[in-house]
Amino acid sequence: MFIFNQLKRDDPALRLVSVVLLAGLVILFAGLWWVQVVCGREYQSHLETQSFRSVRVPAPRGKILDRNGVALADNRPRYDVCLYLEEMRKAFAADFDARFKYTTNTLRLQREAKRAALGRDLTKEEAKAFRVTMEQRKELSRQARLAVANGITADLGQKLQTSLALDVKRFTNHAASTPYQPFPVMQDLQPQQVARFQEQFAGIPGIDLESQTIRTYPLGSTAAHLLGYLRREKDGESRDGEESYYSYRLPDFRGLIGIEGGYDEKLCGHAGGKSVLVNNLGYRQSENIWQPTVPGYNVTLTLDVRIQQAAEKALASRSYRGAIVVMDTRNGDVLAMASSPTFNPNYWVNGFPPGELERLDNPQTKPQRNRATQDNYYPGSVFKIVVALAALELGHDPNELYTVPAGANGRGIAVFGRNQTKQDQAPPGTYTFLRAFIKSSNGYFIHAGLKPGVLEKVVELGNRIHFGERANLGTMQENPGSFPRPETVRSGWSLGATANLCIGQEKIETTPVQVAVMVSAMANGGKVFWPRLVQRLNSQDPLSNEPEQTVPEARLRDTLGVSAKTMQLVRTAMFADVDDSDGSGFRAKLPGFRIGGKTGTAQVEVIGEDGKEHTTWFASMGGPENEPTPRYAVVVMVENGISGGTTCAPVAHDVYQAIQQLNQPAKSIASAR
Amino acid sequence: MFETTLNESQSRVDRLLLAALGGLMLFGFAFVYSATMVNETTGVFQQFRELTFPGFFKWLLSELFFKQVIWYGLGTAAAIGLCLIDYRSLARWAMVAYWGSTLLLIAVLIPGIGSMRFGARRWIDLGFFQFQPSEFAKLAFIVALAHFLSRPAEELRRPDVFWKATGMIALPFLLIMKEPDLGSALVMVPCWIAMLLVAGVPRKFLVRLFSLVGVLAALFLVDVLFAPPGWQIKLQDYQKRRLLVYFGVDYVPASGASREDIQRLKRQQLDDSFNVRQALISVGSGGLTGKGWRQGTQNALGYLPRAVAHNDFIFSVIAEESGFVGSVIVLTLYGAVLFTGIRIAGQARDRLGKLMAVGVVALIFSHVFINIGMNIRLMPVTGVPLPLLSYGGSSVLVSLIAMGLLHNVHTYRRTY
Repeated sequence: MFIFNQLKRDDPALRLVSVVLLAGLVILFAGLWWVQVVCGREYQSHLETQSFRSVRVPAPRGKILDRNGVALADNRPRYDVCLYLEEMRKAFAADFDARFKYTTNTLRLQREAKRAALGRDLTKEEAKAFRVTMEQRKELSRQARLAVANGITADLGQKLQTSLALDVKRFTNHAASTPYQPFPVMQDLQPQQVARFQEQFAGIPGIDLESQTIRTYPLGSTAAHLLGYLRREKDGESRDGEESYYSYRLPDFRGLIGIEGGYDEKLCGHAGGKSVLVNNLGYRQSENIWQPTVPGYNVTLTLDVRIQQAAEKALASRSYRGAIVVMDTRNGDVLAMASSPTFNPNYWVNGFPPGELERLDNPQTKPQRNRATQDNYYPGSVFKIVVALAALELGHDPNELYTVPAGANGRGIAVFGRNQTKQDQAPPGTYTFLRAFIKSSNGYFIHAGLKPGVLEKVVELGNRIHFGERANLGTMQENPGSFPRPETVRSGWSLGATANLCIGQEKIETTPVQVAVMVSAMANGGKVFWPRLVQRLNSQDPLSNEPEQTVPEARLRDTLGVSAKTMQLVRTAMFADVDDSDGSGFRAKLPGFRIGGKTGTAQVEVIGEDGKEHTTWFASMGGPENEPTPRYAVVVMVENGISGGTTCAPVAHDVYQAIQQLNQPAKSIASAR
Repeated sequence: MFETTLNESQSRVDRLLLAALGGLMLFGFAFVYSATMVNETTGVFQQFRELTFPGFFKWLLSELFFKQVIWYGLGTAAAIGLCLIDYRSLARWAMVAYWGSTLLLIAVLIPGIGSMRFGARRWIDLGFFQFQPSEFAKLAFIVALAHFLSRPAEELRRPDVFWKATGMIALPFLLIMKEPDLGSALVMVPCWIAMLLVAGVPRKFLVRLFSLVGVLAALFLVDVLFAPPGWQIKLQDYQKRRLLVYFGVDYVPASGASREDIQRLKRQQLDDSFNVRQALISVGSGGLTGKGWRQGTQNALGYLPRAVAHNDFIFSVIAEESGFVGSVIVLTLYGAVLFTGIRIAGQARDRLGKLMAVGVVALIFSHVFINIGMNIRLMPVTGVPLPLLSYGGSSVLVSLIAMGLLHNVHTYRRTY
């Protein structure tokens, strides 16, 4: 035969090659015989139980807790019923076949009817109308999918006793673009619905229950700005350093802003993976977790929920747009950071109620802005604290009398340089330092600020307080503001600019947190702390041996370097501002508490509205009467207020009152929850 | 068969070879169609009926099975063209082809010229065509080596000739290894050995060579499979994993690996052996007669990964859908091609023709053996296409050009 002819060749080398070829082919033949004929049965049975889908399981996010362990952000289980379209192919195909047969039958009947009517065979052109077109085929297959999914959905609704409708548009899109992803037909099942599902739908191909842990904010909008919010991960998005090939990814979220955003990497943990063994009928055979999830770190804040809620209530009950920062003056811990108007971070996870998105995007009220750190404001007269420190330190006599002249409207007027003037809200007349401070006389402070060396000292102190710099709070919502550097005032700096700086206008922009740092330094004798928002990060697993990461307490950033005598003078003036019935901050007065502060009313140009509005402030420190140094700094800032004294001081009063109630021993932490 | 042998001295056309090639191309077309059109709701006829002619043509051009047909056409044209010129004239260009393909092999390694796919730089992207220089290099190597070895027999006894021949394989071999494409590099070795053998290089060289290659290969395998991590040759990670899968050796975690790392490795192992297992299940579940054309479930359900079903694993689809019967037909067709090749080598008018024929036969054989072998777990997984059956422009073109050369040797054979 042909092959053996080659083997009998007289050329030994060619014969050897032929032998090798023949041997190779025989080996392949034998191998195929073995695999296909001898073991064929075995492999056919393999076919039935050999497919698995790998599912990425997001790790539970770490909790966010307040300083007493109250959860501000937590997780809860959530159950969704999902359709696995790939596994429903058989049902789709069966339905399609039925539809297709029906359509072709109908068309055939129509065609025959037409033929009978015409009494002749149809021409090719005419017959074309009675064929199933590709479009029709596609439409039929779409309908088949939809019908099957609709059937399952209706069945599901009936058995779980809820009204349930398939979102046709979403389903069509899903089937067209991401058929390999599970399609959620029903989300967030109630416990009894979960039980009913387990009972009635076990082992039905293509439909399954997915459980996952999901973010929840049990206290709703409390500390919303600070916590931030999450966004749903986009399709196919994967995290760095993580395997990206999964058949399915359960929906996962990423922190976008706030603590959720800034500490996302710590909070998110490591996603796990499981393989689900599915046989060729789509039944789930077994589940194998090959990589357990590693839950994210818990983040403990310095916040005290009770003070936080009191602060939020103080703003919200008055419908103010503004912010409150409460700081522990002894170490810079932020005890409360409220911003109003606010929002509910749960909406980002569970969906927004109608109209909410429009409210959140309102450019006037800007509910998403964390006004305590994210927006910059003129501090107005609040900054006179620094001017006072600078002037007194340089030898300005507090008892020196200075007469503020009367302006056109009967109020005082500041006159400086060559007939430059500035409006004043305080009346004209003769002022000492104390009276000027509690009346917040612009004329007096511009006079003092223009004395030689005071400007440089003001700039130095402001830089020591770190105005115009970020405090690295890690919330991704900090704007540094602005403050002149020593070199800026050395040249090209005008008298008018100095005058503006002395009354906290134009040349300085701050955030309420920066002001709180300033007041804290006043309270604690000159120590400028890094504000601290996060106390520690620790593993959720109590048995974990991963070390706790603690953020050091009372990190000193700078000192004011002002003499004790000067400090005392300004502090006395601050206390007088509240205690004295003539003081601008008297509305903050609270029996049993010793409170000192400074009011501020800064003019801002507003685009659009009637031109001008006032940013009003009350920067204060206070604590129980029997304690030598005030323990709390409470800074209230309200946009579009009337004046610091009228608008902000009462708000601060409410906050102090809440703090006072906390400190009464009868109230335990538990009852306050 | 007997008829052709009787007529061999007269006919310029080898009908058996052509019939076998035609059969292979038919199989290739049918199963590339089956493998790629598996999830389309509408077939060719439906498309033809519904679309206008330009629309239909555009649709065809976007489908792989039609591209395969185009490659068959181009390849056949090239092969016929080659047959018109005496191979002895062609062989004068052998060294040009050799150095040209070497340049291309260097070019493909340069990022920007060579495009990266699946972690290897094997392709030059020409837009309409992903050009794979290693395919052409293999053929150029065979022609050049045939040209080189077709010198007087005495010269072949000189060691320097032998070493030059070794150098000729070493250059493209190393360049292809660098891409990396271990499979393509390795198929050149059998061609080289077969050609040295047939050329009449003294046995002592060959024996030495064999023992050297054998010892090196054994050392290499032992090293990769069993040596502690510090002592191992640097292989691409996937190459090593394929070898481990083939030999069924468990992945060894590095010492001090965490629990997660070990789990990751286990999972990786499962994943890596996935293709092999799926291919085996495809072939096995085909049974004696197969599930029928376009009825294979492994491919349809995506268990046999769709990226490889129509090229490197086309045999799985054939075996699943046409069963043992189909597999044997494919083997027979290849057998016919290969033994015709041997016969052509035997009848060649000179050593150049004989060597070219043997080289081509060895090349086709290595591809067939490695590819089918890997589908039934006789060989480790390498990216070696099945000549004429696997989808792929470069592979089809080169296979058909090689067949053209083979037939050329037949056409200009001894005429006594």
